[in-house]
Amino acid sequence: MPQATSARGSVVPAPSAGVRDRALFANFLRRELFTRYLGSITGLAWAFVHPLVLLVVYHFVFTTIFKTQRFGNESFLAFVAVALWPWLAAQEGIQRGATSLGNYAGLIRKVAFPHELVVYASVCATLLLQFAGYLAVIVALVIYGEPLHLSGLLIAIPLWIVLAIGVIGVTLFFAALQVFVRDVEHVLMPGLMILMYLTPILYPLNLVPEAIRPWVALNPFSWLVGRLRDALLNGNLALHWADAVAVVVALALFFAGRWVFRRLSPHFEDFV
Amino acid sequence: MSPASPPKAGLGGGSHEASPVNAGPDGGGAGSPATAAAAPGRRAPLLALDHVGKDYAKVDSRGGQLRLVWDLLRGHGAANVYRALDDVTFSLQPGASLGVIGENGAGKSTLLKIVAGVIPPTRGRVTVNGRVGALLELGSGFHPDYTGLANIDLAAALLGLSPDEIDAKREEIIAFADIGDHIHDPIKHYSSGMVVRLGFAVATALRPHILITDEVLAVGDESFQKKCIAWMEDYLADGGTLLLCSHSMYHIQKLCRHALWLRTGEVVQYGAAMDVTQAYLAFHEEKSARAKTPIDPRVAASTGVYAVQSLDIGPADVMAQGADLWIAGEVYSPDGRVPVVLVGIVRADGTPVYGVATDMDGVAPTRVSADRFAFSVSLPALPLLPGKYFVRAHALDPEGVRLFDHVERPLVVTGDSREMGFVRLAHRWNDR
Repeated sequence: MPQATSARGSVVPAPSAGVRDRALFANFLRRELFTRYLGSITGLAWAFVHPLVLLVVYHFVFTTIFKTQRFGNESFLAFVAVALWPWLAAQEGIQRGATSLGNYAGLIRKVAFPHELVVYASVCATLLLQFAGYLAVIVALVIYGEPLHLSGLLIAIPLWIVLAIGVIGVTLFFAALQVFVRDVEHVLMPGLMILMYLTPILYPLNLVPEAIRPWVALNPFSWLVGRLRDALLNGNLALHWADAVAVVVALALFFAGRWVFRRLSPHFEDFV
Repeated sequence: MSPASPPKAGLGGGSHEASPVNAGPDGGGAGSPATAAAAPGRRAPLLALDHVGKDYAKVDSRGGQLRLVWDLLRGHGAANVYRALDDVTFSLQPGASLGVIGENGAGKSTLLKIVAGVIPPTRGRVTVNGRVGALLELGSGFHPDYTGLANIDLAAALLGLSPDEIDAKREEIIAFADIGDHIHDPIKHYSSGMVVRLGFAVATALRPHILITDEVLAVGDESFQKKCIAWMEDYLADGGTLLLCSHSMYHIQKLCRHALWLRTGEVVQYGAAMDVTQAYLAFHEEKSARAKTPIDPRVAASTGVYAVQSLDIGPADVMAQGADLWIAGEVYSPDGRVPVVLVGIVRADGTPVYGVATDMDGVAPTRVSADRFAFSVSLPALPLLPGKYFVRAHALDPEGVRLFDHVERPLVVTGDSREMGFVRLAHRWNDR
């Protein structure tokens, strides 16, 4: 075939789409991590400090001002810490991811590549950093003497993966929508804040009035928070049928989000 | 994978077909993708477009955006569309070079984006059997905070190179870009010319099977343009395939064997580059001529200009080579003095062939009324070679100094002559 040979300059065989996408994802992920946190001097530290500050503030408000009693046998600090990081990871992942395509507008208009890699990289960068912070805080709390079961990480780490799958799905949906409807980002911020207080992060589910408890429990995040606490605070490592449901829900969110994204992505070029 | 086997996957590889939901009744069928790549012995086209069209959604209001999203999700096409490209069919064999020309908004960039795989066609089918390198906008994939080196890596990842492959190519890219130590600086500190150099260096380091460039030659300084053209000529000589979009007919004629003329999304002409570019230039000449109507006598009187009032040519607008041509018309004179009339013939692209004025030959137009003068001139056995020309008449002041107005008429000379140039010069072949 004449087109593949060249007298001067070697022609590199075209790589398979998979190899190319992996390389591109790695590059985007690096770009996300670097530009987000290396642009400012304290950037990387801030990524860890921000949830820590929140934790201290919540601790102060709830134990010193509201005089909240211990929820069962665990301390408030450990109780909130176990749930706060995954929530902040999801919240920041969705918010950043939803607007991530705009940062790549130049590429989307001029270069052919799978647009979803941008969202994957954005969400993964957020989740990786928050997960690192999570591990650091749990270890710190154990050293500090909080009653945490490190063995619970055997459940917690897979739960983070399930969380990532679900968050990517939700983010794909909002990111695709954001390209066409700019209001999405403005609706997301208060929406996620309201959802945080409707999720038993700062309080246990059993304090919620009986009448609305099923509605709060319906939130997949309520389940996730409860499962994390069960594993890390109580050391319960037993698998449950609900775990399988959670995986299915996360995968359903992922595939639904990706379906919407792929439906809309051919038209990004004109609107991004 | 041997370097001689046709790559089937990768950047732009395979075929992108209009999604069936958006395809019209004549939309592409469900044929197997990239069938042409299956037969290595056959000389398959590197690129084939089959009745390709592209509609862009039009959105007028905020509610319209939600509606558009809803329509797209349901799998309907957008309800309100703008037809950017329609019914484009051509194919590129390995080693071919095609120039795409047309006015702004003709659909050139849309066409290149479809070929590059940036956007899918709404109708029809695109088949690509090779690595496509697209220079749609040099440096568009660069990140301003990254250094030149880091951007080389990003661009290479976009083009589908693995880190090992890019290591092998990096020196070559840096050498071609020729921007010295700036390669270690963030792109945001670069001049636009430096960004262009780096962009071109990265995109060409891969020696893509098909190189798509959109007006990239218009940027960069003279010496870099020359370098780019030299690179492209070299690339074409090596059997590379080029799809070039440019407003410069010079570049098209220099680099492309074929040309495609687009106008409002449709193909006007597709053929040899020289023919298409000349037809394109002639079209623009005619367009500006059409826009020019004789100046109204009242306007001419009030502004005091000498104006050509009418121009006729005979025996007809289309005449045989070697026939007699006459040119006649009337000129308005604002002050009743005898104006000078200049009559000439130009090629369709504006190149002057011959011109002569009344005062040069010591004649004057004939007065027909107080402020009107008639002129008539014959050109026996017109020696023009077959082609498209314009006959022009200019009105000048009596001193023959100031040129006020001109009117033109198209003239087509027909014939089978294979002689070259515009005019048959008297000649004789000698024995020795």
